[in-house]
Amino acid sequence: MQCRELDVFFEQEGLAPLSAAARQHLAECHACKHFFDDVTAIVAVAHQFPAEVEPPARIWTSLRSELVREGAIREFSNEREAAPWWQSFTELFRNRGWATAAVAAVMILVAFMLGSRPRDQVLQVQEDPYASTVTALSQQEHDLANMQLASTGETSAVDTSLRQNLQEVDEFIADCERRVRDVPSDELAREYLTNAYQQKAQLLSAMMDRGGSLN
Amino acid sequence: MSEADAIRLAQAGDAAAFEFLYRLHGRRVYALCLRMVGNPSDAEDLMQEAFLQLFRKIGTFRGESAFSTWLHRMTVNVVLMRLRKKTLPVASLEETTEPDEETGGPRKDIGAPDLLLTGAVDRVNLERSIEKLPPGYRTVFVLHDVQGYEHNEIADIMGCSVGNSKSQLHKARTRLRDLLQEEVREQARNDRQIAKTQTGQAD
Repeated sequence: MQCRELDVFFEQEGLAPLSAAARQHLAECHACKHFFDDVTAIVAVAHQFPAEVEPPARIWTSLRSELVREGAIREFSNEREAAPWWQSFTELFRNRGWATAAVAAVMILVAFMLGSRPRDQVLQVQEDPYASTVTALSQQEHDLANMQLASTGETSAVDTSLRQNLQEVDEFIADCERRVRDVPSDELAREYLTNAYQQKAQLLSAMMDRGGSLN
Repeated sequence: MSEADAIRLAQAGDAAAFEFLYRLHGRRVYALCLRMVGNPSDAEDLMQEAFLQLFRKIGTFRGESAFSTWLHRMTVNVVLMRLRKKTLPVASLEETTEPDEETGGPRKDIGAPDLLLTGAVDRVNLERSIEKLPPGYRTVFVLHDVQGYEHNEIADIMGCSVGNSKSQLHKARTRLRDLLQEEVREQARNDRQIAKTQTGQAD
């Protein structure tokens, strides 16, 4: 098998299983072996990305309003829709999960604004702009753990999926934190980290919502 | 409620059925949008647009393909339309399926000497490189290597042949490797520059 033939093989058959001829060529050709190893590494990292991510609750709220407005669906028989706007606002803060998420979101916003300032200025203001966010999220996780200890222990498929998502977000946060630590000037990595923190706050609040309030 | 029941009820305008379908497929659709556009704000807009289209057209769904395939096709179309509006000049799906020689597509550098990426790929730099892929490549890569779809499903979603899907995926992976290698080189250059500056300051 020649290099070109191996290329066609990868295109048609993918990276696995390899034919005997492909394996033999890889054993003899360093450049093709490098290509194979690199692409295998890329695919392995791609598999670590979550195939499902919990969307923010506001998407459904907005979608529902639009569908009702367009008349695409029959009106939702939800009493809350008839209530004045301030009632839904205060209800938001009655729920412990949402309240914590709102606090975390404010902290994330502050951290993001600090992150967008020139570095010298940021260092003067705060050594680690994410410290308050991490603290808020840790508190939220702690509350959630307490709540799970107090629960009956029954878990649904949605709970399992949320826990998997949380684990994946945690892993991504670890990657981003490592990247930000290694390359502090990497603005995109900072942006990913901020987004990941936001995502974690939303996930935790969704998980707390499913478990009910601690109070 | 089963998916089939929910579809039937949603076609009759039942609100709970709409919400059921949204909850059933929303996480997957949001992940696809997020990976395709790279930022949550755009992903939210696109997800909302995709579901709006879905619910507006649900009356026309006849079940020829799986509902999830139909939904993903709609989502991919919405995302590609947005990407094409946003990034010019555009490499369309048709263009990127042409032979490399005619389009200036990814260089097939198999067999050529290169930089080893092993250990240098992480989710941050891969995500950044995915964002630099042309929309057609990006879609197939995300659908296959992130979302786990098979080539026949991708062909169905994207309205192309299985061979085309395979070819796109291979080109996407090859292009990603080029982009990641460039990033590793860039990083090495920066490191050298920093080291040089620090040595100069020490002197």
